[in-house]
Amino acid sequence: MNTSPFSARIHTGILAVSGFIILVVFPTLNAMGIIEDFTLNLWGKYLCYGILAVSIDLLWGYTGLLCLGQALFFSLGGYMMGMHLMLMIGKLGQYKSALPDFMVFLGHSTLPTFWVPFQSFPFAFLMIFLIPGLIALIFGYLAFRSRIKGVYFSILTQALTYGASLMFFRNDMLMGGNNGFTDFRTLLGANLRIASTQRLLYISTAILLIIVVMLCKWLTHSRFGLVQRAIRDSENRVLFSGYSTANFKLFIFVVSAVIAALAGALYVPQVGIINPSEMTPEKSLEAVVWVALGGRGTLVGPVLGAISVNALKSWATREFPDLWLLFLGTSFVLVVMFMPKGMIGLPSQIQALAKRMKRKSSDP
Amino acid sequence: MRFLLNPPLTPNTLTRFSGVFLMWLVSLTHAHAATPSEIIASAIVEQSASKQCDLVISLKGNPASEVVILLEKWKAGEIFLHQDPEGNQTPVYLTGNASSDGTLAISRVSSGAPLIGPDGNPVRLDPSAEEFVDTNSSLRRAMKEVSDLAAFANPDFKKRLRAIEDSAIGQNPEKIPNLEALRSTEKEPLALRAIDQTIAIINLKSNDPKVRTEACKKLGELNSIAAMDPLRTLVTQSAKSGDRITEKAATGAMTRIESHISTINIFGTLFRGLSLGSVLLVVAIGLAITFGLMGIINMAHGEFIAIGAYTTYLMQHFLGAGLDLSPFGKSLSLPGLHLASAGNLYFVFALPASFLVAALFGILLEWSVIRFLYRRPLESLLATWGISMVLQQLLRLIFGSNNVQVTSPNWLSGNWTINDVLFGWNRVFVIAFAAIIILMTWLVLNKTSLGLMIRAAMQNRNMAACMGIRTERVNTMTFAFGCGLAGLAGAFLSQIGNVGPSLGQNYIVDAFMTVVVGGVGNLMGTVISALGIGLADQSLQQILRNPVIGKIVVLACIILFLQWRPAGLFVARSRSLD
Repeated sequence: MNTSPFSARIHTGILAVSGFIILVVFPTLNAMGIIEDFTLNLWGKYLCYGILAVSIDLLWGYTGLLCLGQALFFSLGGYMMGMHLMLMIGKLGQYKSALPDFMVFLGHSTLPTFWVPFQSFPFAFLMIFLIPGLIALIFGYLAFRSRIKGVYFSILTQALTYGASLMFFRNDMLMGGNNGFTDFRTLLGANLRIASTQRLLYISTAILLIIVVMLCKWLTHSRFGLVQRAIRDSENRVLFSGYSTANFKLFIFVVSAVIAALAGALYVPQVGIINPSEMTPEKSLEAVVWVALGGRGTLVGPVLGAISVNALKSWATREFPDLWLLFLGTSFVLVVMFMPKGMIGLPSQIQALAKRMKRKSSDP
Repeated sequence: MRFLLNPPLTPNTLTRFSGVFLMWLVSLTHAHAATPSEIIASAIVEQSASKQCDLVISLKGNPASEVVILLEKWKAGEIFLHQDPEGNQTPVYLTGNASSDGTLAISRVSSGAPLIGPDGNPVRLDPSAEEFVDTNSSLRRAMKEVSDLAAFANPDFKKRLRAIEDSAIGQNPEKIPNLEALRSTEKEPLALRAIDQTIAIINLKSNDPKVRTEACKKLGELNSIAAMDPLRTLVTQSAKSGDRITEKAATGAMTRIESHISTINIFGTLFRGLSLGSVLLVVAIGLAITFGLMGIINMAHGEFIAIGAYTTYLMQHFLGAGLDLSPFGKSLSLPGLHLASAGNLYFVFALPASFLVAALFGILLEWSVIRFLYRRPLESLLATWGISMVLQQLLRLIFGSNNVQVTSPNWLSGNWTINDVLFGWNRVFVIAFAAIIILMTWLVLNKTSLGLMIRAAMQNRNMAACMGIRTERVNTMTFAFGCGLAGLAGAFLSQIGNVGPSLGQNYIVDAFMTVVVGGVGNLMGTVISALGIGLADQSLQQILRNPVIGKIVVLACIILFLQWRPAGLFVARSRSLD
């Protein structure tokens, strides 16, 4: 995108400054009482969405795989964290039982076997990586091996999410049914309901976001990233050049699933609830909208898109609840049609337009 | 029963009661003199509960239609007592419509004539202010006996059948003579079978072991599903009492009936699978055109379905009583034609209307958005999703976010029962509808010049353009055709489910899967995959006894199926790479 060293330096500078603001300035202001706890919490949520958006961009913007199942990995990460948090409630729940409330409600007296290890945080943390990664590995292996690509890949991932959400809506899945998990109390011994814990969670989210962006920057600028973009632009040529594109795609698919899961795991303690409606295909598409609006194929764009769309949403759903969806839908259509590079690409688009206008006026 | 609880023992009431009693005596001695209505009227004012029952029982076998009607009214608490001009308490029932103050005109139970007040005007009664004449359980039993027998004489065959089947409840041997009597007059074979079955079920309780085994044998021969529960009770009872012969006979009958039930279930599942497949087919056929032929991922397909459904809704009200809408907070009143037969007729008009309306929206969409995205399928997916968001919200703003009521025509709500397998007319209709739509689509695509142009343009746009086909127009027409089919699907779905703004969302994933499995660009593939998915879904539901798990297994099977055939059932052969 930015080829000249000068603008690249500006680019890095802006990145560093915004990273600093998000990571240091916001929490400091919050600690000083200038930014409300509610606002910081909201921003923590936005940053989680930003990480999710980066994971989508890694697939879509850089590899050309439009995955509509990313909400599944996001909420799976959330569920893994949620299971641990549910067990940490202890006997403080509604039924004063060591079991999570919904299990008591369903008439269980002992903890199901697959829940038991989640009492340990390290295990839950490991599962945040393993479960979504494994599902992505299996599904990706099957999909890429049979060379499912383009819109077929989108439709299949959509079906995957859909099927999973149906499964999680069931009560006998023992994952809380359609109410999901809520009423969390402590994480690693810290009370989740006080501002300082939430601030720490926010800071971890910001750190994760920065790490993820830097990791992706490194990845996409390596030789690997080159192959990745080559796959996006012409998979057949890459294939004919002797690269096993399926393995490349599988790797990136798993990486992006894990990133999404991490975002979900941080999202749940901050929002305080996780339920199956988070993993419906619409949620995935919503996240795709952020990426498209922000600008795909860049790393800042998706984060920008996620934050701005969600900030706008928080405001507009309060002020114009009826018109918000009309506005979002229309602007999304317009962006897809006329701004393929999203908000990030807007300046260069305007520049190009101005140049063309100038040439036109000077030509005759 | 106010007048029974505190009878005001004035001389007047005493003479009145004795009068009624005399009337009753008269009615006994001169039976021809008292009409059934009069007997009921006298029963209502009768003080003694046992005599009340006797009076009601005396009506048993009486063919007059008013017997059942009046007894029903009595049981439902629609009979009141009112003073007639002579000062007697007269049983009356309400007639006509309520006026603005909530009162209704009343008629005498004894004659059906309106009750005239002392002022010469008909008396009006406020039912909420009056206390109705009560019944007790023995009286209700007597009433039931009378109305049961009357139901045997009902000219409506279905009601008669129902009455016969109901009389098996309680396995009361006293009912057998009535059933035997009915058998001699009954002509309908189904009713005759029901009589045999009912008598056999009652006989299961007989004290004679021979009668019991005979009844078991009979029920086994009849494949009587209704007998399963009584047979089960009989097996446990006879096992307890050590009656090996009856136990064996009952178990044998149950085995036979069970195998019959499983046969029925297989056929029922096949039929339901076929109809579910047809629903999928109807929903996916439009997508098979826009996605399969044109390569446009129309995520707004579901909203076109909803548009079709809402058009049906509008048509129903347009032919009927009109409709008040409040789009965007403004009020809009749609006039109605007030056609008398609108309820049954509107659907015939709604079908073409929903096709046209959805096609019109399709043209608009193609012209404004889709035509810019023909070479970018992934982006067409995203843009149409934005469109779907907008359309859904518009529907919500115009029609409200709650489901709206679309009434099915009468001819869709019946069913056929062939050999115990239930064929709902709406399911039969689904299958026929799907077949017709497929046939018509096939005809349009393969037998018309438009179809020829469509196929040419879809195979190779540039080549077709060189041959003088106006591909842009063909694109628009094809897309509109696909959207119109979605509209038809909506008109059709409005008959079998709820109509709401997110109607289409429930079907969109399934529809895409159907087209992907069928293989793009091939109608036959879509047909086979829709029916296959429908049948698989229903049989898995039957086997796993859980609809959600069944659905998830189907989705998993589809993913595995695509391992084997990545491009679906039918692959369009091409030498190009992508």
